Amino acid sequence: MNRDPYAIALNNALNEIKNAYPDIKKSFIFTKNGTIITGDQETDEKTMNNLLESFENLKEKVKAIGTLKSFHITAKNGQLILSNIQDMQLLLATSKNADKTQIYSITHVIIPTILKTLETLETFAPTHLQVTPPKKLIVDTLGGFFAGDSVQIDVEILEDWTKNNDPRARVKAAITGEQDMQESIDRVEIETFGGNAAVCKVKEISDQNLKGKNMIRIPEKLCKTLEINKGDLVKVKPAQ
Amino acid sequence: MLVKTTETNDNENNTEKMQEKLQEIKDQEGIIGYILRGSKSASIDLKDPTKIIDYAVLSSTAFDAGSSMTEILQMGEVDNIVVESEETKLMSMNINDHRLSLFMEKSVDHNKLYKDLK
Repeated sequence: MNRDPYAIALNNALNEIKNAYPDIKKSFIFTKNGTIITGDQETDEKTMNNLLESFENLKEKVKAIGTLKSFHITAKNGQLILSNIQDMQLLLATSKNADKTQIYSITHVIIPTILKTLETLETFAPTHLQVTPPKKLIVDTLGGFFAGDSVQIDVEILEDWTKNNDPRARVKAAITGEQDMQESIDRVEIETFGGNAAVCKVKEISDQNLKGKNMIRIPEKLCKTLEINKGDLVKVKPAQ
Repeated sequence: MLVKTTETNDNENNTEKMQEKLQEIKDQEGIIGYILRGSKSASIDLKDPTKIIDYAVLSSTAFDAGSSMTEILQMGEVDNIVVESEETKLMSMNINDHRLSLFMEKSVDHNKLYKDLK
């Protein structure tokens, strides 16, 4: 059986469905080409393989009337229901008098929603669920009366971080179809190679001559706290 | 011996009644045809005779798959099997020691037919 995160998530879903609907006795999900993805905790692999074998025989012969969309067996002590959900097949063994509405909600609402969510996450994860890596920037000191307490960084770096920021919000936006509302970075975490760290407000570099030089301008007071000087390298990343 | 003859007569009557019902059902809108198999004989009535072999194989496979699956899951004897494709539906059931497979368009209410036949 498949043990990737996708299969584990589906396995958890099937177990929870079984707990919530006592009429569901066994359940498992497999692909259209007959690969078992997962089953609930009480359905062993041998049972799933045997059922799949019978199902594959039937599927082949159903071609006489088209492509198999669903089948339903009513037996003396239960029902067996196969549903086609997106690219997957869900097989449910239920008690004889299982509630049709509950079964419908599982096959037409719950499982399709879970599959859609998982597929969205799977597509999304490689590019957006990554943690923003810290950038190494060269320290420049900010002095004078208007130095304030904010550090200054190139606007391009801030924009780059904004694109990668808050993966959960981006996943939510992808699932719900809503526009991803990206919030700008307003605080950064600075870590020195000596092990000191601080979180402070950030702005874009205002001095045109210092733009695009991979630089971070830090107020002198903060430089003292962090025990760094002009020209040192520090690691900077958006604050969580 | 007398009991046996009575049972045989009952079975024959039931089969005749079932075939009468099937003749009525066959003419209903959306019904493609049926295959009825007993231990010694079979009757097939399909709108498209070129599909007899494919449909007979499907009917037989549906019964085999149904019994095999219910046996694996210890669900007891099969009562009925409904298989659906995009446009067509097959309902198979055991009735009076016969295996009946009824082919129909998807829009047909198979539950109503099942009640009529049982």
